[in-house]
Amino acid sequence: MSDFRPLELDPLHPKRHLRTLHTPFGPRAVYDSASFCTRCGSCQQACPTYVLTAEETFSPRGRNQAVRLAAEGKLNPAQNKELLSRLVNSCLLCGRCTQACAGKIPTAEHMLELRRTLNGRALPALLHTLLSWRSRRPGLFRFMVRAGLALRRAGAVRLLRLMGLTRLPGLAWINHADDILPARTPAFAKRLRQAKIPAAPQDPALIYLPSLEAEFFMPDLAASVLQTAAPKRGAHIWQNTPSGLFEYVYGNVRQSRRLVKNLIRRREQTGKLPLLTDSVDVYLFLRRAPQLFERWPRWQQKAREFAEHVLFITDFMPKKPARAAEIASPVRLDYSALFRREGEPFAAAQKTLKTLFKKNFVECLYKDADTPAFGYGFVRHNLAERVCMDAVRSIARTQTGTVFTLSGLSALELDFCLKQFYPYAKADHFARLNG
Amino acid sequence: MKIPSAALKKLKQAAGEENVLTDAVSLSLYAYDCSLSRTRPDALINVPNQEAVAPILRILQEYAVPFVPRASATNHAGSCAALNGGAVLNLTRLNRILQINTQEGFAVVEPGAVGGDLQDALAPLGFFYAPDPASERVCTLGGNLAQNASGARCMKYGGTIDHVLEADFILPDGGPLHFSRRDGGPDFIGLLAGSEGTLGVITRMKVKILPAAKHIKTFLVTFPSLAHSVQTVSDLAAKGVIPRCVEAMDQITTRAVEEFARSGYPTDAQALLILELDGTPAQIASDEKQLEEICLKNQALKFIPAKNEAERQKLWFGRRAAYAAMARLAPNVMVGDGTVPRSELPRALAKVRRILDDNNIYASLLFHAGDGNFHPQIVFDERNKPDAVRVTRALKEILQACVDCGGTISGEHGVGVEKRAVMAYQYDKPTLDLFTRIKRAADPKNIANPLKLIPLAYAEKARPQQPLSAAAQQLADNIRTRREARVPCTVTGANTRLKTAAEHPLSARPLNQILDIDKTNYTVTAGAGVTLAELAQALGRENVYSILPEKGKGTLGGAFASGCLPGFYPHVLGVEALLPDGSYVRYGGKLMKNAAGYNLARLFAGSQGTLGLVTQLTFKIFAKPVPKAPELPFQPAPANALWRAVKAQLDPEDLFPPLTGDARV
Repeated sequence: MSDFRPLELDPLHPKRHLRTLHTPFGPRAVYDSASFCTRCGSCQQACPTYVLTAEETFSPRGRNQAVRLAAEGKLNPAQNKELLSRLVNSCLLCGRCTQACAGKIPTAEHMLELRRTLNGRALPALLHTLLSWRSRRPGLFRFMVRAGLALRRAGAVRLLRLMGLTRLPGLAWINHADDILPARTPAFAKRLRQAKIPAAPQDPALIYLPSLEAEFFMPDLAASVLQTAAPKRGAHIWQNTPSGLFEYVYGNVRQSRRLVKNLIRRREQTGKLPLLTDSVDVYLFLRRAPQLFERWPRWQQKAREFAEHVLFITDFMPKKPARAAEIASPVRLDYSALFRREGEPFAAAQKTLKTLFKKNFVECLYKDADTPAFGYGFVRHNLAERVCMDAVRSIARTQTGTVFTLSGLSALELDFCLKQFYPYAKADHFARLNG
Repeated sequence: MKIPSAALKKLKQAAGEENVLTDAVSLSLYAYDCSLSRTRPDALINVPNQEAVAPILRILQEYAVPFVPRASATNHAGSCAALNGGAVLNLTRLNRILQINTQEGFAVVEPGAVGGDLQDALAPLGFFYAPDPASERVCTLGGNLAQNASGARCMKYGGTIDHVLEADFILPDGGPLHFSRRDGGPDFIGLLAGSEGTLGVITRMKVKILPAAKHIKTFLVTFPSLAHSVQTVSDLAAKGVIPRCVEAMDQITTRAVEEFARSGYPTDAQALLILELDGTPAQIASDEKQLEEICLKNQALKFIPAKNEAERQKLWFGRRAAYAAMARLAPNVMVGDGTVPRSELPRALAKVRRILDDNNIYASLLFHAGDGNFHPQIVFDERNKPDAVRVTRALKEILQACVDCGGTISGEHGVGVEKRAVMAYQYDKPTLDLFTRIKRAADPKNIANPLKLIPLAYAEKARPQQPLSAAAQQLADNIRTRREARVPCTVTGANTRLKTAAEHPLSARPLNQILDIDKTNYTVTAGAGVTLAELAQALGRENVYSILPEKGKGTLGGAFASGCLPGFYPHVLGVEALLPDGSYVRYGGKLMKNAAGYNLARLFAGSQGTLGLVTQLTFKIFAKPVPKAPELPFQPAPANALWRAVKAQLDPEDLFPPLTGDARV
C-alpha cells in the first residue's frame, strides 16, 4: 500500500484540501481512504438517501467510487460538475455508512473533499453569505440575525410568504427557516439573567462555546447547558464565536483552520480550561481538529491537546436530571450528527436515557432514520423532508413521546416535522432534560 | 456497443424519461460490483415497476442491445459488469414485500426486496426466511436467487434454490413466464438459481418462510487441526445430529478477529468451530450430549457453550467480523469460494494453504464446514498490478485444486466473469455445450448478461471427457443410431409411471448398479435403472436412510424424472444424462452446494424424458430415518415457453416425447 504515491483529487489546489484523513486505522490520504472501499455494499442500506432513491448515485458506495474515479482521472470533476455536485450535496454527512462499514471508510469526509474540489456552494447564496459573516464580520452578523428576528416578529416574513416571494429560487430557504425556528426567541443575555447565570464569573469551571442556534434561537438550551455543566462556578461564555465547522462543511478549509487556531489561542489565554459545546456536530469536529494541521506539527500538537479538552453536555448530565420525572411517555435518542453516529456522546446519552427511562426507552432499529443534521434541510430540502418523515414514521410506529437530540438544530428540524405529522411527540435537546 | 438513439427514445417512453440515464457519472457508478471487474455500460435504466420490465426487454431485444439485470450488486464474481456495454437494468426500486402469509408459510416479494428487511418483517411474527448469506442486510432476494446464495444455515435448511416456491420471470424477448413448484415439469426455479441474469429477469418471487426456532444453543469448540474439526462435522452427520449452523475458521482468522472484535475466541488452536443447535429443549439437550462426546473424541481443546443470549451474540459477532477484520488491512479483500465433498475438506484446505504460501499471499480461511464450502479471504491492493495478478492467479490455482478434489469452483458466489475461465477446468465439452444450448434457448440473441458463466472458446480447454460405462455407452450408441434413422426415443425405466406402449422404448434398466454408498459424505451414487426396492434394500443393509419411499415402485430415474416426487429434487446433488444427440453430460457430485453453471439436476428433474435420458444420480442419505417424500400421481406436465425452447435446442427433430399442453403464464 505504501508503494503508491496517492493521487490527488485536486492537484492544482492542494491547499483547499486536507492532506490526510484521520481514520480509526491511522492517517490516510483521501485517495487511499476511498480506495479502501471494497464495494461490498454493506453501507448501502444504512444510507438514508439510498434507501429513499434506490440509486447508486445517492449511495455511499457510489460516492466513494466517484471520489476514487475522480482522483484516478476517470471522471473529470470540471466536466461533470453539476452531476457530481448533485451526488455530493445529496449526502447527509451523517456517518451511518461509516458505522456500517467494515473498513470504517469516512465517506462524509470524502464528500467534503469532493465538494472542495468542485468549489461550488451547497447552501443558497444569500444564506451562505449571511452565515459566513459570523466569522468574517461578527458584528454585522449579529445585527443581521437580530434584525431578521425582529422583522419576523413584526410579521415581515409572513408577508413575504403571503406575497409568494419566498418561492423565488434564492429565497426559498426563508420558508424552511421560518418553519423550524421557534415563534419567540428571547435574547441570550436576558435569558441567562433570568436563569441567574453570571455573565462574567470569578472562577469559571469551563469555557462554554454556544452553538449558533443556542445563542440566537434557543437561549433556553444555553441556560440548561450552563445550569447543568457549571451550576456553581459558572463558565466563560464565548458568544458569537464560530467554531470553524460551518467553514469546514460549507466553505473554505483554510478559513476553518484559522478559526480553530483562534479557539486554541484564546483557550490558552483563558487558562486552558475545558471547552464545552452543546452541539454534537461541533464536538465531533473539534475532537478531530488535529487532522486540520497535518502540515503544521507544532499546531497539530496544540490541536491534539485542545481536542482532548473538548467536552460535551453528556459528560455533565446528573444521575437524576430535573425534568426526567415529568416525562412519562416513551423516549428515544435521535442519533443525528455529522460524520459519525457512534462513540462517547451517543453511548453516554443512550446510557443515561436507558437508566432513567428503563422500559420506556425505545431502542432504534437498524434502519430507523435520524434527522438530517447541520443545515442539510437548506441544502437538499426535498430529500431532507423525506428523511425527516422517515424519522417521524419510526417515532410514530414506536409511539414515542419525547425524542432527544444531541444538537439544537436537529431538535428544531425534527420538532417542526413532528408538529406537522405526529403532534403527540416532541423533540428537544438532550441538555433540556435537566431544565 | 452504442445504443441507437431510436432505442433510447423508446426506452424513455417505456421506463420514463428520468429513468433512462446516459451521463458519465451514472454510468461509472453502475460499472462495478463487489469483484474486481469494472466495465461501463452505455445506459442505465432505473426500472420503475414490475410492469415496465417486459416492454423494456422487448425494446432491447428489438435493437439487440445487451443488458445486465442488477440489484444490490454485492456478488463477488463480476456478474453485474456490463462486459458488452449495453444497458444496466437497475431493479433496486422493485423492493416491496407484497405479502406475508404465516398460515400457509410464504411471503411474496419483488426481486429488489432486501433479505434483511424481510427478516425484520418476519421476526415480530415469529417466522424467518432460512437462507442467510453474510450480506443479507444489503443483498436482495432476486439477487440471491440469481446467484443461488446461501449462508451459515445451509447445512440444515439448504440454499435459496430450496426456498423459492414460485417466480415470475421475463425472458429476454419480453415473454412473461410463471414458474411454480406445483406445476410439474422441470424445476425451472432451480434452473434460474445461479443463472446470474443470463436467462432473463426475475420480477416477483414467492418464498418459503418458516417458524422461528424458540430454543437455540451455540457452542464454540477449538481443535488442534482443521482435519479434526472437519472430522467432527462428519461424525455429527453420521450420528444424525444436524446443527443449524456449522461455521469454521483457521488460526489466522481467529487471530485477526480477536485483534479486531474481541469475541473471546481462543487464539492458540489451529481450528475453531461455531456450532448451533435448535429444536425442543429435550432435543437440544440430547444433541448437545452427543455433540460434546463427538468433539472430545476428536481431541477438542475447548468446548464452550454460550451461557446466555449476550454470549451467543458475542460469538456470532466474531464470526461476522471476520470480513471486517481483513477489510481494514488492505484496500481489497478477495473472497474466494470453492466447495468440495466434506471428506475432502482437510486435503483441499491444505492445498489452498500451500498455494497461498507459495504465492506469498496473506489470507484467512473461513469455511461452512457442514457443506464443504470454504472461503479464502485474500487481502491485497488492486492498484498494485503485479499484486493483483498474483492474487488472481493464486485464486485460479485454488479453484483448480478444488476441482481436483472432486469439488466445484463455486458453492454460493456464482461464476460471473471472474471464474468463467475455470469453468472449462471443471466441466467437459458436452456439459459446457449444454450450458450454451440452454442459454441459446432462452436468449437466442445473446443479450441477457452476455459473456458470463460459460467460458469463451472452450472446445480446446474443456476438461477431457471421462469414459462411459458399458451400459451407458450402449445407450448412447442406441440414441445416435435412432437419431440417424429418425426413430422416436421413448425413455422408460420399469414402465410404472410414464407408461408407454412403444415397441422399442429406450430403457434405463441396464443402468442398474448402485455404484457407491458413501458414509463419510452421506451420499449414494446409483444408476437410473436401479429400482427403489433394490435401493431401499441396499441402504437398509448399510443402516442409512433416504427420502425415497421404501416400498416405492419403479426406478430411481423414474422417481426423479417423472415429476412424481418433487420433494426428492433438493436431495439430488449430481446427475449424469444422455442428451438426444447422444452426448453425455455430467453435473455435480458429492457436493452439498454447487453454484457453477446452470443447475442441470433441476433441469432434468421432472423433465419426463423429454430432454434426454438420466443415467446416474448422486443424492443425500442420512444416518437417522427421515420423513419420506410424498408421491404424486403421474401426469404429463404442461409445457412452458422455456421448456419448449430448451427442447427445441436439444432435440430439434423432436424424437424424444413431444411436449404437450400450455403452462399458465
